Amino acid sequence: MTVGEMLRRFFLVDLLKGMWVTFRHQNPADLVTEQYPLQRPEISDRFRGQPRLMKDENGKVLCTACGACALACPEKLIKVGSVRDPETKKKVLTEFDFDLGRCMFCGLCEEACPSDAIMLSPDYELALYTREGMELQRPQLENGIERKVYEK
Amino acid sequence: MSDERFRDSKLADSHLHESKDRDSQAGDPQERDSQFSDSPFYDSFDEVAPGGTFLDSKEVVLNMGPQHPSTHGVLQVVLKLDGERVNGLECIVGYLHRGIEKIAENRTWAQFGPFVDRLDYTAAVSNSLGYCLGVEKLLAAEVPKRGQYLRVILTELCRLASHQVWLGTHVLDIGAVTPLFYAFRDREMILNVFEKYCGARLTTHAFRIGGCRWDAYPDMAREVLHICDDLGPKIDEYRDLITGNRIWLQRTKGVGYISPEDCIAYAITGPVLRGSGISWDVRKAQPYSSYEDFDFDIPLGKNGDTFDRYLVRLEEMRQSIRIIRQAVEGLPEGPVIAKLPKVLKPPAGEVYHSIEAPKGELGYFMVSDGSQQPYRVRVRPPSFINLQALEKMAVGSLVADVVAIIGTLDIVLGEVDR
Amino acid sequence: MIDYIVGYLHSGVTPGEAGNLFWETIYVLLVFLGISIGVIFMNWFERKVMAHMQVRIGPMRVGPHGLLQPIADALKLIIKEDLMPSGADKIVFWFAPVCVVMTAFCGFIVVPFGRTHAITDMNIGVLFMLGVSSLGVLGVIMAGWASNSQYPLMGSLRSGAQMVSYEVAMCMSVVSAVMMTSLVTGTGTMSMIGIVQAQEQQHMWFAFSFFPVGLTALGVFAIAMVAETNRAPFDLPEAESELVAGFLTEYSGFRWSLFFLAEYAGMMAVSAIAATLWLGGWLRPFPHLLGGAAWDTAFSLVPGLGFLLLGALCLFYTARMPKLRSMRGNLIGLAAFGAFLALLGAFMLLPAVRIRVQDIFWFTIKVGFFMYLYIWYRTTFPRYRFDQLMKIGWKFLLPISIGVVVLTAVIGVRQELLALVFSSWGGGR
Repeated sequence: MTVGEMLRRFFLVDLLKGMWVTFRHQNPADLVTEQYPLQRPEISDRFRGQPRLMKDENGKVLCTACGACALACPEKLIKVGSVRDPETKKKVLTEFDFDLGRCMFCGLCEEACPSDAIMLSPDYELALYTREGMELQRPQLENGIERKVYEK
Repeated sequence: MSDERFRDSKLADSHLHESKDRDSQAGDPQERDSQFSDSPFYDSFDEVAPGGTFLDSKEVVLNMGPQHPSTHGVLQVVLKLDGERVNGLECIVGYLHRGIEKIAENRTWAQFGPFVDRLDYTAAVSNSLGYCLGVEKLLAAEVPKRGQYLRVILTELCRLASHQVWLGTHVLDIGAVTPLFYAFRDREMILNVFEKYCGARLTTHAFRIGGCRWDAYPDMAREVLHICDDLGPKIDEYRDLITGNRIWLQRTKGVGYISPEDCIAYAITGPVLRGSGISWDVRKAQPYSSYEDFDFDIPLGKNGDTFDRYLVRLEEMRQSIRIIRQAVEGLPEGPVIAKLPKVLKPPAGEVYHSIEAPKGELGYFMVSDGSQQPYRVRVRPPSFINLQALEKMAVGSLVADVVAIIGTLDIVLGEVDR
Repeated sequence: MIDYIVGYLHSGVTPGEAGNLFWETIYVLLVFLGISIGVIFMNWFERKVMAHMQVRIGPMRVGPHGLLQPIADALKLIIKEDLMPSGADKIVFWFAPVCVVMTAFCGFIVVPFGRTHAITDMNIGVLFMLGVSSLGVLGVIMAGWASNSQYPLMGSLRSGAQMVSYEVAMCMSVVSAVMMTSLVTGTGTMSMIGIVQAQEQQHMWFAFSFFPVGLTALGVFAIAMVAETNRAPFDLPEAESELVAGFLTEYSGFRWSLFFLAEYAGMMAVSAIAATLWLGGWLRPFPHLLGGAAWDTAFSLVPGLGFLLLGALCLFYTARMPKLRSMRGNLIGLAAFGAFLALLGAFMLLPAVRIRVQDIFWFTIKVGFFMYLYIWYRTTFPRYRFDQLMKIGWKFLLPISIGVVVLTAVIGVRQELLALVFSSWGGGR
């Protein structure tokens, strides 16, 4: 071992270098914690959050009750109920059941839908107190789940 | 000296008494003994030494149970200790078995994509890549060049993220608490890119069969290059904080040695194999998804110990940054997904395709019977196969090293148990 | 009676030396209170400093910036269920935490916060402190034994072995410091106050005398004291991720908090020894280099200004807090705390108070510096394995500390010859 190495070992230079790294990180500009719920994270557009049934500008649901989303879902948790309108001979949506408790948020239903009716919105605050609340019906999917907004 | 006196002793090996009860309840002793071949569950102290007492029993069975901060998941490790030295070791896995391969038999090829993310959950994009490439091989489909480059960018970012998790948790097990937070801070940047690209941070479901579902989002190139620029100096920080640190060197040099011959005998792959000096990387040996277009090195270790595997993984992170830069700069124009029918029915046949996942060689063996649902999907989990080396490495070392060795193998129980 | 009480105030000695029972009791209560506040503060400070070094913020919710967190923790521990293992030895199980806490607190009898600010001044002060902290090892072993479980027993034996090994190196470096007290007067002293007075006489903190021998002694002591108190990087016996969970496993609730109290009090005690022996105790920096009434006044303003600064910082953070109705409690609390600190600072600027508080302040700053080092070590370093730990204690620290003792002795005796060399280095007498 050279003299330099011996001195470095004796005076614990490697340990001091490590200590300088941790000391440097105390700079307040480096702190990365977001204090939720005062600071909420920025969510991207493509975020796969709570599923919603979309309506067009006139307020009419876009869903044509074709059932493609129910076929595409890996967990088979979508149930689409429809009646056939006698005049237009088209299906009209009556019920739409979505079991959020089993959902993987994979987005396959969103991809399968031909009319962009079901979309996974960027809403991620989905916690509930009861398991029954996880079974979403059509009104909750169209208007969103009722939530208390926490400030502290 | 009768052993009756010692049965009531407060300090008596209570586990020996327990085993006595278990003896009478367990039924067939042959069945019990087969699990622990030379089990120290003695029926009387005379077996230990003639006229022996509990002070003569030398081996202790210690259960590093499924709930343990350092086993990286629900892994049960049964150790046979002589004082502090490990004489024998047995892993009991299966606590996280979810039947993913069985689930595959009841889903369509496209529907199985999200499940594959849940195997190695620290590197979901890799798993997705392997699966999609395997199915594309069955379909003989060609992914467009832009799709392949996008896949490479995301997979290498995922490799970086997975190695960050490994770094943080491995160093935490050995005692240094800070690099975990630095590693996860760096991982946040990568997960933000994933979120902007495919909408989820952990279970990404990033790729579809035939290519990528989405094209790159508007700022993706800039953000990815920013990550590359940022991570270089941060990896250098680990050199100051950990690599040169004498405590780290003492804890990891010479610990967990495995020879190259043993690696090949156990079919170990990934950084563990490269740490022992064997140059095998599926990206170079059997290139897939345009990896042959990129210029990168394979880091190799010399001694197959923990310190070399640590250096190999750090260097792999640097090489990943290199690949990402080349991919972003050379990203061609064009479509990102091939034109495939909506209802996938691959012709009957079997295929095996493997990729270089961050943990090792991840392989998918798929059998199709011509229908919409796979007949069989078998995953070759690198963590499961690397876990065989634990016994080889840990026997003969001290108890405190077992934790370091589990960390250096970089196992994820989601993959081990599926 | 009044004369008894007031009469002490004009003597220039500690209550123990004066034999004044009333003031001794007051001082004991004050020291007890001080250590308790110190432990509470250390709990908060450690969590905040560790968090900032790990690029996160520490506790922020319980009280403004987490200031009430230690109190919440203490309350939680007190109301927890008190478990005792079934086969445990009840008396020993009860006594072990008591023993550890008693020995940790007893050491503070001789710690001098100032010339007259100590409970008493034994002429074997340092020896007493080291001896009492050795008794703490007994408590640790009792804790492991009484748990009636193999792994706590193994953990406590390892912990005890570690503490005993590093005590040897500690005591050797203490010997070298004590030897240096005899340089000018010809007679050394082991009394803590006497050691600081010797440093005052020699115009040099012992850390810097016979450079670099003094610094090496301090370094050896600094490393050994970390191992003595079972803190990182020598905390294998109580580490969370290791197999043998340590002697604390079976203790929960209030008993656990007693161990934790004893650990921090022990840390403060050995830091106090280090500060007294090598860093000049209660002396302000550069008492002779920057001597004179003006400098004295300037330095005596530092405590008051320091507290004023802390108060201003609290008020600054209050201004930066979001003005929500739900955070009203936090805002008022932090503002009140800031006002309290500022008032305390203003109080400390009064001349009558300034003179008396100075010594305590400088001593506390030095002990605080060592406590910050403790936290810094914990954040930065991985853990040593037990065999490596013992190797360092016996094969590395002990030879160096013996070498330091020998060198100190040789240099001390031959200092006339070496004074020439030292004066050319500028480290002169």
